[in-house]
Amino acid sequence: MSPNYLLKRLLMIVYTLFIVSLVVFAITQVLPADAAVMMLGENATDQALEALRQQMGLNDPVWLQYLHWLGGVLHGDFGQSLRTGQPVGPAMLQALGRSLLLAVLSIALMLALAIPLGVLAAIRRGKLADMIVSLISYAGVSLPEFVTATLAVLFVADWAKLLPPTGYVPLTENFLDGLAHLVLPVCVVSIILIAHVSRMVRSELVDVLHTDYIRAARLKGLSTSRVLFGHALRNALLPTITVVALDVGYLLGGIIVVEEIFALPGIGRQLIVAIQTRDLPAIQAGVLLMAATYSIVNFAADILYAWLDKRIQYD
Amino acid sequence: MIELLKRLLRTPQGAVGLILVVIVFIVVVFGPWLAPRDPEAMSILARYKGPSANFLLGTDQYGRDILSRLLIGARSTVTMAVFATLAGTFAGAFIGTVSAFLGGRADEFIMRTIDAIMAIPNLLFALLIVNLLGSSSINALVAVAVAFAPGMARITRSVALAVRKQDYVSAAIARGESSRYIILREMLPNVVAPIVVEATIRVSFAVMLFATLSFLGLGAQPPATEWGLMVSEARQYMHLSAGILIWPSLAIAIVAIGFNLLGDGLRDALNPRTGG
Amino acid sequence: MTETTNNTVLQVRNYSLDYLTAGGVFHALKNIDLQVGAGEILGLVGESGSGKTSMAWSIMRYLPSNAREAGGDIRLRGEDLTAKSPAEVNRIRGKRISMVFQDPGTSLNPTLSLGTQLTETLRRHRGLTARQAWSEGEAMLDRVGLKNPAEMMKRMPHEASGGEKQRVVIATAFACNPECIIFDEPTTALDVITSRQILDLFLDLQAETGVASLYISHDLALLSRTAKRVAVIRHGEIVEEGTVDDIFNAPQHDYTRQLIAAAPRPSDRRTQTRPSYRDQPLMKVENVSVHYGRKPFLSALTGRSFERFAGNRAVSLSVQPGEILGIVGESGSGKSTLAKAMTGLNPFEGQMTFAGRTIAGLADMDRAYRKNVQMIFQHPDASLNPRQKIREILARPLKLYGEDENGTMAQRIGDMLEQVRLPRTHADRYPHQLSGGEKQRVAIARAFASRPKLVICDEITSALDVSVQASIIELLLELHREHSTAFLFITHDLNLIRQIAHRIAVMYRGDLLEVVPAEDITSPERADYTRRLLAAVPTPAGAAPTERDF
Repeated sequence: MSPNYLLKRLLMIVYTLFIVSLVVFAITQVLPADAAVMMLGENATDQALEALRQQMGLNDPVWLQYLHWLGGVLHGDFGQSLRTGQPVGPAMLQALGRSLLLAVLSIALMLALAIPLGVLAAIRRGKLADMIVSLISYAGVSLPEFVTATLAVLFVADWAKLLPPTGYVPLTENFLDGLAHLVLPVCVVSIILIAHVSRMVRSELVDVLHTDYIRAARLKGLSTSRVLFGHALRNALLPTITVVALDVGYLLGGIIVVEEIFALPGIGRQLIVAIQTRDLPAIQAGVLLMAATYSIVNFAADILYAWLDKRIQYD
Repeated sequence: MIELLKRLLRTPQGAVGLILVVIVFIVVVFGPWLAPRDPEAMSILARYKGPSANFLLGTDQYGRDILSRLLIGARSTVTMAVFATLAGTFAGAFIGTVSAFLGGRADEFIMRTIDAIMAIPNLLFALLIVNLLGSSSINALVAVAVAFAPGMARITRSVALAVRKQDYVSAAIARGESSRYIILREMLPNVVAPIVVEATIRVSFAVMLFATLSFLGLGAQPPATEWGLMVSEARQYMHLSAGILIWPSLAIAIVAIGFNLLGDGLRDALNPRTGG
Repeated sequence: MTETTNNTVLQVRNYSLDYLTAGGVFHALKNIDLQVGAGEILGLVGESGSGKTSMAWSIMRYLPSNAREAGGDIRLRGEDLTAKSPAEVNRIRGKRISMVFQDPGTSLNPTLSLGTQLTETLRRHRGLTARQAWSEGEAMLDRVGLKNPAEMMKRMPHEASGGEKQRVVIATAFACNPECIIFDEPTTALDVITSRQILDLFLDLQAETGVASLYISHDLALLSRTAKRVAVIRHGEIVEEGTVDDIFNAPQHDYTRQLIAAAPRPSDRRTQTRPSYRDQPLMKVENVSVHYGRKPFLSALTGRSFERFAGNRAVSLSVQPGEILGIVGESGSGKSTLAKAMTGLNPFEGQMTFAGRTIAGLADMDRAYRKNVQMIFQHPDASLNPRQKIREILARPLKLYGEDENGTMAQRIGDMLEQVRLPRTHADRYPHQLSGGEKQRVAIARAFASRPKLVICDEITSALDVSVQASIIELLLELHREHSTAFLFITHDLNLIRQIAHRIAVMYRGDLLEVVPAEDITSPERADYTRRLLAAVPTPAGAAPTERDF
């Protein structure tokens, strides 16, 4: 892996964020909403509205507005929320932090369950265990998050009263209670991921177990565990890295819904509020941060993959 | 066509998937006639009832028959999802094929831009577009189609590239065939099959995405019978009658599973080597 | 033949194997009797589907779940392997019996170093510690002729050449001093010269260790140079067995005779025609070069120097009307690259002249050129569109070159099929319903549809069985005689090309080394590489002394 490759990948992140910002700006600019009206209210005088418009640069041509915004972003200034009047950047970043906690826990849970399930299904291919895992994956992949979330709240929180239904408690305040509030959201987000990744792991492992080199390893008289863990699994898990990284995009989408249902103050919730209130700077900042998260995760995955698999020439 | 159906029925996924999807289509087409009661008829006295002879799946918070609402709702949910997927697939396939055909720097540029757009999660992209256009079913359809297009472009391009490398394409070039002939007669029949498989599976995602948009209040509006909307409305009343929540959820799941299985079944059936 | 002596290491007695398939029971092996003694090499020769590979798996006790042993036994020094438990078998594998596989590229784990894969057997079967195993491994790599053993241990498979990898595989097989080794076509995936080196290595090690070797191959010529005794297997039965001399000089069974006849012998000249060298050449290639690769996007920024890879470097040759020009070379020599340039699949620099007309690039290849210059590819499964029926595939060149008259199409397609010895009813089939040989015949029919003046054959028989190969070559020569077609015949099989070509061109790493008349190929004035190539190719035993390799 050469510096050239790293440079290329980093440039790609920059390009991605640039395109995303263009797309978001284009979409939001076509909105008929008038930002000035939103801030001052319906009953403001025409004079006041016009003054505010001048001040906010709303009468400038679109591309100039974009450049202003871009300039601000490069300085870390995402503008002010049309809804609260507060700077958007810090609020969004804080919300992102909470969402990342949810995301990280979900991925951890997913890896802990999906990999063993996939391996089990692969070694017991065609047998009962495989069918059960298959069934679970099909079901998992076919239930939207809002369904599982709502059902989870219904069964676990309302009926069984095992866990608190909705709401958020920061971990720094009360660790156990905070965790209790996170259990259901994390489970809901992971279900689809577990279903998808366990299927991937199974399919990769089945392919690997049929290769010539696994056959050669068995015919060398190596123990079954050596063949499975020392040879097969490490090769099957490699493509899983890429898949998980791509799934982060889906994860981020799922988080939006889950935060809405469980009333968690993460970036998803912020985005929903921003979209509903047409708070343009907030929307732009939120989408950009999500895209940035996705890009950085994929970048890290690419680097990890290249470091682990020395076969492919990256230059 | 008959051949295809026969091959499809040979695998368990193909068979189950086909049956489920056929049932769904029957419901979509004949829904209004199959529904035993008027989906909008409210009845204060019959609220939150469980399943009974009159109301096979029970009633909701306004006393409306859940079964009838589901049967009618199939139309909005399923047809929108199918059309959105078709639109997204056509748009994406066009871009992907052109990109593969152009090759070189143009291809790289197009694909990198597509990758960049895909950094926005599907749901978020759809939310933005619906927000832009206004909340309604049609706009949700457009939103889902636009959200799917980049993914389909990527897949089409990679399939097209793989097909282009095959010797039979080289043989056609060596014969001096025109580009039009090569693309239409040699490449396309071999590209269409994997795209059809992928699109079928995507319908299940479209159903879920659609339902999610309605759930968030940005797709179909009340008193529409879209399933996602039904789940959203049910949240307040679910402790009074779980059925209001469970039946539409089950309906979504069944449709999604059906298309998923059908897609997997088609994968084997459309492969000329394994299907035949 | 079935008596055991104290020296017998491996003995297969009356062994039968069935596979349960959806279409019924398939009898893969029927009453097989084989034995290999200590220090002995037994060759097992058969074509695809003969059961030779199943035999290897049976001995190694590596059978799929639908396999049923229908009788007989397999004994290793008297112990019945078929009666052993999986745990016992696992202890025997790698330690008392080991195997060398066909393709070192796929039989080594791409993510583990060569050293790891070598030492894991040592640690498993000989109980060595990691460090002991590593140094033992280095010693073994030295023994198999690898330079820099210490460094090679640390390398990954993709950093080693095919020959180097196969040496590592052989070292692994010999590592635990087994009593018996099975070699499953170990040189098939390697280049001619590398094959020869590996073969010599094998003979060397075998003589030194006295291990009983079962050498499986489809190449009779190669076996005649390797084994003392040979068994011929066909459709799951051993049809003949004997010493190499007996088999080659006095074959008893029809099939054996057929196999021997099918193996190309340079002395057996198949082409009787003689082209005229005074006329204008049909196709002239002048200083044609083909380069691969594009400047990387950021090379200007990072200042990396960039060299394009040369597939062909200033190649010049000519083909006379009605001539068969053979092009030989190993992989990477550029022979396919040249063929692709001539059919417009690769852009090239330089100039070609066909029938007096200058061709400087793709644009000059007009309909007349295309009609007269056709190409047949190596892999018949890939060169026929799987979604088209044979009828469509054959109709296409007729339609394209304007030779379709309404009403006669079906008739013509039937005629084309008959010309390549296929039944007319094949027109309604799809490619996957045909065998490899049949598909290749369709490809030939397609190429000859427009009565071309020049047909380029790019390794068209390499993917086929030996007997099928012989019939394809015969078909080709028949068409050559009938239509006086010129051929550009690309292959790595020197024996074959000496049989059929008028002149032979030798290529190496993108350069054309020399072009000589076929009869002069053995002259001592040939280039170094040509002579090395000739020396590496095994000619069948029983051939006249004058063609023995030197």
